[in-house]
Formats: sequence, C-alpha cells, structure tokens
Amino acid sequence: MAALRQLRTGLDFLYRASGVLGAIFLIAILLLIVVQMLARWTGEVFPGAPDYAGYCMAAASFFAFANALHRGAHIRVSIVLNAVSKPVRRILEIWCFGIGAATAWYLSYYAYRFVYWSWKFNEVSQGQDASPLWIPQSSMVIGSVVLAIALTDHLIHVIVSGDHRIESDLVEQSHGE
Amino acid sequence: EKWDMPLAYSATNFHSATAAEFAKCITTGTGGAIEVVTHPSGSLFKGADIKRAIQTGQAPIGERLLSGHQNENAVFGVDSVPFLATSFDDASKLWKAAKPTMEKILDEQNLVLLYSVPWPPQGLYFKQEVNSVDDMEGIKFRSYNNATARLAELTGMLPVQIEAAEISQAFATGVADSMISSGATGYDRKVWESLTHFYEVDAWLPRNYIMINKDVWGGLDEASQNVIKGCAELAEYAGTWRAVEYTQFTLNGLRAGGMTVGPAGDQLKGQLQEVGEVMATEWLENAGDDGKAILDAYKAME
Amino acid sequence: MENISVIFLFLFILFLLLGTGVWVGLALMGVAWVGMELFTSRPVGDVMVTTIWSASSSWTLTALPLFIWMGEILYRTRLSEDMFRGLAPWMARLPGGLVHTNIVGCTVFAAVSGSSAATLTTVGKMSIPELRKRKYPETMVIGTLTGAATLGLMIPPSLTLIVYGVTINESITKLFFAGILPGLVLALMFMTYVAIYSKVSSKWQPNEEPRLSFAQKVKNSRFLLPVIALIVVVIGSMYLGYATATEAAAFGVIGGLVLAASQGSLNWQTFSASLMGATRTSAMIALILAGAAFLSLSMGFTGLPRGLANLIAELELSRFELLMVLLVFYIILGCFLDGISSVVLTMAVVEPMIVQAGIDLIWFGIFIVVVVEMAQITPPIGFNLFVMQGMTNHEMNFIAKSAIPMFLIMVLMVFVLIVFPDLATYLPENLRPGPGG
Ligand code: NA
Ligand code: NA
Repeated sequence: MAALRQLRTGLDFLYRASGVLGAIFLIAILLLIVVQMLARWTGEVFPGAPDYAGYCMAAASFFAFANALHRGAHIRVSIVLNAVSKPVRRILEIWCFGIGAATAWYLSYYAYRFVYWSWKFNEVSQGQDASPLWIPQSSMVIGSVVLAIALTDHLIHVIVSGDHRIESDLVEQSHGE
Repeated sequence: EKWDMPLAYSATNFHSATAAEFAKCITTGTGGAIEVVTHPSGSLFKGADIKRAIQTGQAPIGERLLSGHQNENAVFGVDSVPFLATSFDDASKLWKAAKPTMEKILDEQNLVLLYSVPWPPQGLYFKQEVNSVDDMEGIKFRSYNNATARLAELTGMLPVQIEAAEISQAFATGVADSMISSGATGYDRKVWESLTHFYEVDAWLPRNYIMINKDVWGGLDEASQNVIKGCAELAEYAGTWRAVEYTQFTLNGLRAGGMTVGPAGDQLKGQLQEVGEVMATEWLENAGDDGKAILDAYKAME
Repeated sequence: MENISVIFLFLFILFLLLGTGVWVGLALMGVAWVGMELFTSRPVGDVMVTTIWSASSSWTLTALPLFIWMGEILYRTRLSEDMFRGLAPWMARLPGGLVHTNIVGCTVFAAVSGSSAATLTTVGKMSIPELRKRKYPETMVIGTLTGAATLGLMIPPSLTLIVYGVTINESITKLFFAGILPGLVLALMFMTYVAIYSKVSSKWQPNEEPRLSFAQKVKNSRFLLPVIALIVVVIGSMYLGYATATEAAAFGVIGGLVLAASQGSLNWQTFSASLMGATRTSAMIALILAGAAFLSLSMGFTGLPRGLANLIAELELSRFELLMVLLVFYIILGCFLDGISSVVLTMAVVEPMIVQAGIDLIWFGIFIVVVVEMAQITPPIGFNLFVMQGMTNHEMNFIAKSAIPMFLIMVLMVFVLIVFPDLATYLPENLRPGPGG
C-alpha cells in the first residue's frame, strides 16, 4: 500500500512539475519577445529569436498537456456523459481514457522516432537559429509521454475505482473561448 | 497508384503551375498508372518539412527551395551566393556545374533530383533612393536566412527577421524598410504601398528543385522512369521560360504601382560586387571540397 | 460519389469520438489517423508527428498564450469594480439606463481580453448585483451580458482570430484590425435594442438613478483610466507599427502586471494562478490545433477538401448563397461544438471553397467570429451559458431564452457585414505606416 501511495504522490508531482515547466517556457516566450523588441529599438540584432520563441511555444504546450488534463482544462463534449446512468458512464469513461491513452502513447512512440532521426541525421533548423532540432523537439517526446502516463493513470483509476481523478473546472475550460 | 506532391507555394505561382503540368505529364505519360496530385500552398506539408517528408516516404515526390537547406549543408546555398551568377544564362550554367554534386548529396539522403527551376533575379527594395552602400547604413532590412542576414551586416544594415506572411504588414508599419527579393515577391505583396525603389541588382537567382524518394524511384520500371525524366526535362525548360517572362511582367507591375524600378548605379554595383566576393569566400569555407568543385566547374564554362 | 462516402466516414468517426466525450484534440487525431490508414499507404505515425511538430512550434502562435495570460492577470484584478464605477454615471441617463454598462463594459474589457468567458465573468461579477439592486428586468440583465460578452472574440485581442489566422496563415494584426469596426457596430446594435426595449416594455421599471454633475462623472471616470491606457498601448502599438501582434501581447502582459501591482492586487498567489491558468488554457488550445493540423493533412491526402470545393464550384452557388449555407452550417455546428474547435475543424474544407468563390479571407475571419459568437450562446453547448449558469444559478433554459434577442442581432450582423464588407476590410487595408516612413 505504501508503495502505491508513493507512486500516487510521485505521479501527481510529475503532472504538476511538468505543468510548472510549461509555465516557465511561457515566461521564456515573454522574455524572448521583449528582448527581441529591445534589440530592434537599440539597433542590435538577435538572430533566430522567432525560432526560439516557436520552440518555447511547443515546449510550453507539450509540457502542460498532462497538467491541463488533470485540472480539467481540455475541452470535451460531455452531454452524453452527463446524461447516462453511472454504470454506463463508467464504460464510456473507460472508452474515452482508453482511446486517449492509446492516442497519446502512439504519439509518444512516433515523436520519439522523429526526434531520434533528427538526432541521427543531425537535422538543423532552416531558420537563422540553425540549432540542432532534436533539442527543442525533445519537449514533444517528454510532454507526450507525461500526457500518456496521465491518461493511463486515470484509465486505471476508472477501471479500479469507477471514477477518474480529473478536477473538472469549467472556468479553466471556458477561458479558451 | 496515386502520388501526393506537396508544394510550398500558392497554386497561382509559376513554380506551382509548372509542377501541376509536370504532374499532368506523368499521369498522361504513364497512361494513368501513376496519378500525381499536387498540393500547393503548403496545404499538405509546410515548405520546411517537405524534404524530410520525402526522404522518409511520407510523400513520394515534392518541391522545395534549394537554399532552404543551406544550414544543413552549405552546398545547398550555391544558388544564393550573391553576385556569383547574375543572369538567367549564368544561373543555368551554375546549375549545370552544381548538378552532379547535388545529385550525389541528395542520393546519400535517399532522394533523386528530377528538375530545378529558378526564381526571378533578386533585387533590392528600399523606402528611399540609394546610390551607395553608405546610404544603406542603419536601414532595417528584412532577412529570412543567415545569408541575407550576413548581407545586411556587410552593408551596414540591421537585419530583422520577418515571416513571409507578415511582409506587407512589416513594411506598412516600418518594422522593416528594405528587403532583397525578386520583383515577383514585391508584386505579389503589393509593396508599392510602402516601398518606393527597386534596384535590379540581380544578386542571385534562387532555385526550387523537385525531388523524388529514392525507394519509390527504384521501384519504377524503366519505361515509367523515362516518362518522368522526359516530363522533368520539359518542366525545367517551361519553368525557366516562365521565370523569364514573369520577371518582366512583375517589374512592369512594380512600375505601374508607382515604384522607381531600374538598375543600380555604378558605385553601388561595384560596392555590392565586393560584398559578393566576401560572401563567396565565406561560402567556400563552409561548402568545402564539394563547393570548390562546383565553382571550378562553373568558372571553366565561362 | 466516392467523396460522399468519405465524408460520411469522417463524420461518423468524428461524431462517435466527440459525442462519447473524447477530448477534442485527441478525437481529431483519432479521426485523422483512421482517414490516413484507410486512404493512403503513407507511414501514418511519421506524417502525424511531422505535422504536429510543425503546427506546435509556430512563431505566430506565440501571441496566443501571451494574450491569454494578459486576460488572466486582468481577470484577477479589481478591474470589474473600477469599470462599473467609471461607466455607470455616463450610462445612467441613456434610454435603457445601467443595462448599457453590461454592453459598454464588455466592449471595453473585450479590448484587453481575448476570451468571451473571461469578459463575461469580469463584467458580470460587478454589474449583475448592481443591476439587480436597481430592479432592472432579470432577462435583460442576463441576456445582454451573455450576448455582449461574446464581443471578447471580435474586438482585438481575440483568441478566435489568432487561431483562425494561424490556421489559414494570414496576418493576425490585420485580422485584429478587421474586428474593431464590426465589434463596435455590433455593440451599438445591442445598445439600440436595449434602448428600444426600455421604451416599449411594461416590465421596465428600474429605480431612478441619482443625478451626478458632469464634474462628478469625470471624477468617477478616473477609475477607467488604467484600463484605457492599457488598450491604447496594446492596440496603438500595433496600429502605429511599433509592435507585431505577438509583441503587443507582450506589452499587454507587462502592462497588466503593472496595473495589478498599482492596484495592490498583484501577489505571488495571483501571479502564479494567472500564469498556470494561462499555461493550461493555451495548452488546451494547442492540443486542439495539433489535432486539427493532423486532420487537415489527412483530409488533404484523401482529396476531400478539393473535391468539395469543386462540387461547390459546380453547384454555381452565388457568394451570397454560399455564405447562407455556411451560416446555417456553422450555427448548427455551434450548438454542439466550441468555437475554436469548429473553426479549426472546418477550415481545411471551407478555405478552398471560399477562395474558389472569391471571398476575402480577412473578411471571412470576421464572418467566422460572428458565427462563433452565436455558438457561445446557443444550447446545449455554449460556454457563455455555462459560465452564466455558474455565476447566477439560473436554469440554462432561462439564460438561453434571454439571450435569443442577442442571437438574432448577431444574425442581423452577418447581413450587415455582407452589405457593408468595408466594415471589416477598411482598417486592415489602411494600417498607418509607422514612424519609419
Ligand atoms: Na477581445
Ligand atoms: Na452553442
């Protein structure tokens, strides 16, 4: 039991930590944009700033996927889910988390292959940053894996205890609209 | 069999039009055995993704800007060395000189080169009259890769990186005041709303190239390969002809838009040539033996 | 006819996944995967990742999290109280009275927030209790607020327009400026409705407002100054060419932080809450965009969008007829789907059609925004209805019914846009040249 509890704490920490990492990349976007503007006004040059901002955008998104899931920020259509009886809902939730987890693991696997080949072929950015692409692309692998773990975690939870552990937060969801 | 062919530029662009005819030629020539469907405007894969997509078999065939890959290997930037080949004839010679090396490099990357068509020559756009490099001091210059950024640096301008979609906006709002591009780009983006001068310095003629996945190519019978080769030759000829025609058309368009269009003055031309020599030397350092082989072959043709 | 079966297959799997509650972004990936597996011999996994990486690491997209963050910061400040106090004295004498604070408040907040729901909560927090105290008819209080909050999507900054711009590769700055005039016209139409209603309805018996002198009104308006300053900085910097949309968003974030600090509402708790909220919301949209990018690629491989565009061309629909078809289509879609999903989901197919019909893509962005605004207030899925339900505990039916007039005004707005297309296209075509020239 203690081991399970530890696993639980560990996983929850993982989702939170990767969300915080995503937030740090959001701050990085802000800083990059500001520095680029300052550079332009003062006649300096900051080559590749838009490319770096793009990488930070991807990192901010991928790292935060699991955290967003855990906090109920990802949009889903829940009319049917809310309308059916509890046992049916459980089956539906298993289906949803099953499909979600399968998709996320599939994405993780191919993202890993993608980055592996970028590294192997020594693929470099075509922009002015000319950075080796496997470095920024790693955020996609890590983020997808954490999302896949989170979806699997919830899937197991639905199967075992009948409900997932997502804190549904309408305010969070609605702010995208 | 259906081949999806990703193209980065819009359907009305002459490169895309050439590719569409090339596609039709293959479909007809193989009696419909291979149906090539073009996907312009980056609607299938974005420009930067097309080469890798074909290398890895995500698409069998496609088109990409050659110099887009010069970060990966400087040789891909041979068409964009400023003031090395400054006319359609020279650009064709340079391409002939580069072709064997290019085919070899692409072959190592699981690609087969089919044909290549140049863009109209690159000229300088400004918001003011410019007669010498001194006049360019401090002007905000739109750069889109390391070579154009270096060009800005060598002429004392400030490179600002601006995505293609934001070009008109950047000029309208003064984020940039100058760029190097073909008359076609300026015409498409209606830059006369904010820019005033176009100098036909014919700095270089960038090229697009069409490539096919080597495994796909190897899997074809000889007859189909010959059909495709024939279509490619035809397309290269037709595309180059279109580029020449289009150059004149867009320059007239810029004039009609109210821009001052003409060749650069002798002083400016001379200074730019010097810049070009510096950049050619730098390019050779990066491009190594392959680069030297191409330049030697090119010089031997003159 | 092959097209028809492909369409039905896509639609069936899509509705199956979406309807059973699979997260939108993942559902789109699932549909795209099935489509590719069935219709091409290409390596699906590799294609998927290529597309998703390219869509997720786009520079243009960076305006999105920054504008969300700006809105999140302001949402946590004292802005709503200040806005009501500043606006109320000016609205009190208009026919329709303080109900106008709902609309004008939404218009003002819309100019600093890209979200309709955040606009609704910020303005509603203060105006609902105050309006109830003064005995304004509840349907008017609720209806106007639910409807006017959707201006958050049209008046820049706008998350919908960023997503649209990224999807069709158009300038976000241009789209933003396209939204300004239609947004203001729509606000005026809402206000006109309120004024007429107040004159003809027998239920309209609010308490009299005390008269304030002009000097007092001006004095109260000082509360509005910080937010107006922020609007001027964000929109002005874009208009005068000092900043791109992304850079203006960075101004907005910094300005929002300064504003919050000057009010004393900036502390570690609000800072981290706004940051984490923005991170999650932007991740949510990014997942949908990633899924949509893959779906649009998958449909490209099947040739469906082109087929449909050709079909439309053969039908020889006039522009007006095409727009009417799309209007009805989007209204129905909007009943079930959130705005961002319906935009990204349909653009792969719709873009070739409207290009074919010669419709301006910037103008169409505003058309899309109006229909997405309607989607916010139509049941059963309408985020403004949900948020309003959470705020007031009214039945969803009641809220939806009170918003019907607003819905009809938005339909009218579509026709206004068709008759006066310049409303959307004039500003983006006439952006002022910057100080550089
Ligand atoms: Na807004
Ligand atoms: Na709706």
